[in-house]
Amino acid sequence: MKGLLKGLGVTFKSMTAKKVTTSYPDVPFVMPDRFRGIQHFEPDKCIVCNQCARVCPTECITLTGKANPDPEKKGKVIDTYDINFEICILCDLCTEVCPTEAIVMTNNFELASYSRDELFKDREWLDNNNRNVRQDNNNIGAPAAAKGGAK
Amino acid sequence: MIRTEELLLNVGPQHPSTHGVFRIIVKLDGEVITEAIPVMGYLHRGTEKLAEDLNFTQIIPYTDRMDYVSAMTNNYVLCHAVETMMGLEIPERAEFMRLIVMELQRVASHLVWWGTYLLDIGAMSPFLYAFRDREMIIDFFNELCGARLTYNYMRVGGVKWDAPEGWLDKVRDFVPYMEKKLDEYNNLVSGNEIFLARIKGIGQYDAQTAIDYGLSGANLRCTGVDWDLRRAEPYSLYNRFEFDVPLGKTGDCYDRYLIRLEETRQSLRILKQALEQIPSSGEVMGKVPRVIRPPAGEVYVRIESPRGEIGCHIISKGKAEPYRLKFRRPSFVNLQILPKLLVGETMTNLITILGGIDIVVGEVDA
Amino acid sequence: MGTWLDETLTWGNALIFFLWGVILLAIVLGFVTYAIYFERKVIGWMQLRIGPNRVGPLGLLQTVADILKLLIKEDTIPRKADRMLFILAPALAYVPAFAVLAVIPYTQDLYFADINVGLLYYVALSGISTIAIVIGGWSSNNKYALLGGMRSAAQMISYEVPLVISVVGVVMMTGSLNLRIIGEQQGNWFWEWNFLPQIIGFVVFIIAAVSELNRTPFDLPEAESELVAGYHVEYSGFRFAFFMLTEYVYVYAIAALTTVLFLGGWHAPAPFLDFVPGIIWFLLKFSCIVFFLFWLRATMPRIRVDQLMGFGWKVLLPLAILNVFITALYLELFIKG
Repeated sequence: MKGLLKGLGVTFKSMTAKKVTTSYPDVPFVMPDRFRGIQHFEPDKCIVCNQCARVCPTECITLTGKANPDPEKKGKVIDTYDINFEICILCDLCTEVCPTEAIVMTNNFELASYSRDELFKDREWLDNNNRNVRQDNNNIGAPAAAKGGAK
Repeated sequence: MIRTEELLLNVGPQHPSTHGVFRIIVKLDGEVITEAIPVMGYLHRGTEKLAEDLNFTQIIPYTDRMDYVSAMTNNYVLCHAVETMMGLEIPERAEFMRLIVMELQRVASHLVWWGTYLLDIGAMSPFLYAFRDREMIIDFFNELCGARLTYNYMRVGGVKWDAPEGWLDKVRDFVPYMEKKLDEYNNLVSGNEIFLARIKGIGQYDAQTAIDYGLSGANLRCTGVDWDLRRAEPYSLYNRFEFDVPLGKTGDCYDRYLIRLEETRQSLRILKQALEQIPSSGEVMGKVPRVIRPPAGEVYVRIESPRGEIGCHIISKGKAEPYRLKFRRPSFVNLQILPKLLVGETMTNLITILGGIDIVVGEVDA
Repeated sequence: MGTWLDETLTWGNALIFFLWGVILLAIVLGFVTYAIYFERKVIGWMQLRIGPNRVGPLGLLQTVADILKLLIKEDTIPRKADRMLFILAPALAYVPAFAVLAVIPYTQDLYFADINVGLLYYVALSGISTIAIVIGGWSSNNKYALLGGMRSAAQMISYEVPLVISVVGVVMMTGSLNLRIIGEQQGNWFWEWNFLPQIIGFVVFIIAAVSELNRTPFDLPEAESELVAGYHVEYSGFRFAFFMLTEYVYVYAIAALTTVLFLGGWHAPAPFLDFVPGIIWFLLKFSCIVFFLFWLRATMPRIRVDQLMGFGWKVLLPLAILNVFITALYLELFIKG
C-alpha cells in the first residue's frame, strides 16, 4: 500500500513539473554543429578523387568526372554527382575522407517526401542545399587546428 | 459432448510488446502456455555477410544498427577487436572518451529497458520519465558525434571527435541529476505492490541453467554468478575504477529488474570517476596506418554490453576486408532460454518474461 | 421532476420525460467528450507532456475531431465474424450503460427516476454490459478478442459480488435501496457521510468499482501490451466508438454512484457552506472521483489475471462480508437497542 501511495505522489508532483514537449514543426529544431544531416556538395571544390564513392558503406554515391574545360589546367572536374538518400545512412564517412571539403554535412534533416524518386538527389540539388552547413568537418587531411577543440 | 482444444496464438511480429518484430507462436490451454516457439529473423539484414565486402572503417556504421539501443558498445567491440589484432596503441584521452560514452550508453540503454518494461507491465508514465532522461544522454551524443542513435563515433585507433567545448562539464552535471532521478524512479515503481506481485518469482532459473544456456549480463548475474567482463577481464580502462557488480539471489524477473537499476547507479559511479581522471587534453586518434589491414589470423574479443557479453570474432587473411566476421550477440543468446521459461506460464507472464530478458530485435536478427 | 413522476402518464408527460432523456443524453455525451479530453490532459501533465493542444483553442476540440474521424471511418466487419452478434454487441453494451443513469439523483429535487430498488436496478442492469463484451469478443472470431472477452466475463462477475456486498452496509444503515433516500440521509458534516462509518465498505467499493470499469490497474480485458486491444480488437469506426462511449458512461455512472452512496451526495461538507447549491457540491465530488481514476491510470501497472481473481474472491469478498457483519452488530447493539 505504501508503495502505491509513493507512486501516486510522484505522478501527482509531476503535474506541475517542467514539461519536456517541444513544439517541433512550429519551432525548428536546432541541431548542434556536428549534426550529420543531408550533405552539401560544392562542385567547384571537387577534384574527382572518387574517395567518397569508395568509402561509402552503402554505395549510395555515384559520380562521373570529365576533362577540365580549361585546356591549360590539368585534372578532371566533376560532371555528375548523385546521392541516393533511399540508402544513404548519413554515416559521415564521405565527408571524413574528402580532401577538399567539397562534400560536407549540413544540419538539415528533413528528408521526408511523397515519392521515392525525390530521394535521389543530384549535383544541382546538393549544391543548393547550402543552409546550415557544418563548420567543423574534422576530415582527414584538413589542418590540425580545424579539428575539434579540446576539453 | 464438450471438447476442449488448444489455442494456437501468434504473438507478433506485429505485437506491441515483442519489442520490434519478434514473433512467438504459443499454444495456449486457456491462458496457460503449453508450448512456445520463438520465430526470429524478421529484422535480419545480414550484417556479418555484408561485412565481408567492406573494410573495417565501413563496418563501424553497420555495427551501430545491430543493437541500436546501445550502439557505442557495438562500435567499441569491433574497434577493440581490430586494435587487438594490429596491436595498436590508443591515446589515453581517446580511451577515456570511449569509456565515458560507453557508460553513458549503458545508462541510456537501461533507461530504455526500464521504461519499456514498465510499459509492458501496464504502467504508462515510467516510459516517458525514462525517455526524458535518456533524451539528455542522446543530446550529449548528438552534440559529440552528430547523431542521435547511430553514432559511428569510434574509429580503429581512437575516436572520431574530441569532446566539444563544455561537453564534459555537462556530463559532470548530468551524473548527480541522474542519481536523483533514479531515486524518484524507485519511489514511483520499485515499491509498487502490484508491480512486485507481477514480477517476483516469475521466470526463475538457477545458476547452472543460466550457464548452460550461455546467458550473460543481468540475465546471468540475477542467479548470483559474479561475471561482469568489466571486472572479470578488464578491457579499456575499467581496472582503474571502483565499482560494484550487483548480484541477484533468486534469478527471477525482480532480481533482473533490481540489477539493471543498480547497474545504472554503478555506471554513474564509474562516470564520476572517469570524468575526474580524464586528461584535460591530448590526441584522440592514435597512429594508424592509412589502410587498416590486420595481419592474417584470428581474434575473439568480448566486452560487457548493457545486454550482456558481446563478442567479435574476426578471421583475417591480411586484407583490408575481414575474411569472416562474427558477432556474439547477447540478445540472441539470452533469448534461447525463452521457450523453456514460458512453458506453464500464463499469457501475461509471457510479456513479463520476454521483457525481463531484455532483447533488442536488431541484435537478435543482426 | 418528482411531481411529474407522481402524475399519471399522459402523452404530455411522456413527451417531457422523453425530452429530459434527450437532455441527459446530451449532458452525458458532453461529459464523455470532455472526460476524454481531460483524461488526456491530466495524464499528459503527469507524464511531463502537455496533452492535446492542436485542435481548437487549448485542444478543446480534440475529442470532437476524434469522434468525427471515427464516424467517417470505414465500417469493417471481418468476413469470418458472426455478423449479427458483431453488430449487436456495441449497442447492447451501451444501452444498459445509459439506462443505469436514470436512478442517479443529483440533488434533492433533480432526479430522473425515484425507484425504491434503485441500487439493485443499477447493479442488475450494469451486469448486462458484461454479456455484450463477451459477445463482442466471441463474435469477432479473433483469438485476442476471445481472450479479452473471457477475461472480462470472469473479472466482471467476480468483482460484481464484492461491489454489491460492500454497499449492503450502506443500505443497512439507511434502511433503503433508494439512492435518493441514501443521499438524503447522510448528515450535514462531512464525517457523518457514509465513507467514514463504512470505511471498509468504501475501500472495497472503490477497488471493485475501478475493476468494474476495466480501468488501470484492472484493465486486463483490454491489456494492450498482451492482448493488443482485447475484446474490441476487430472493431473500428463507430462500433468502436460505442465501446469507448460505454466505458466512459460507466465512469460517469460509477463516479455519480460513489458520490451518492459514500460522499454525501449533494450535501456541503459543513453546514455553514450550505449557501453553495447542492449541485455544485455534487459536481465537485464527482470530479474528484473522475480525477482519481485518471490519476490511477497514470501511475499503476496492470495486475495479473490470477492475482486479480484471487484478490477479488479471497480479499475483497471476505472484507465486504465482514463489513456487513460489523455493520449489523453495530446496528443491533447501539442503534436498535
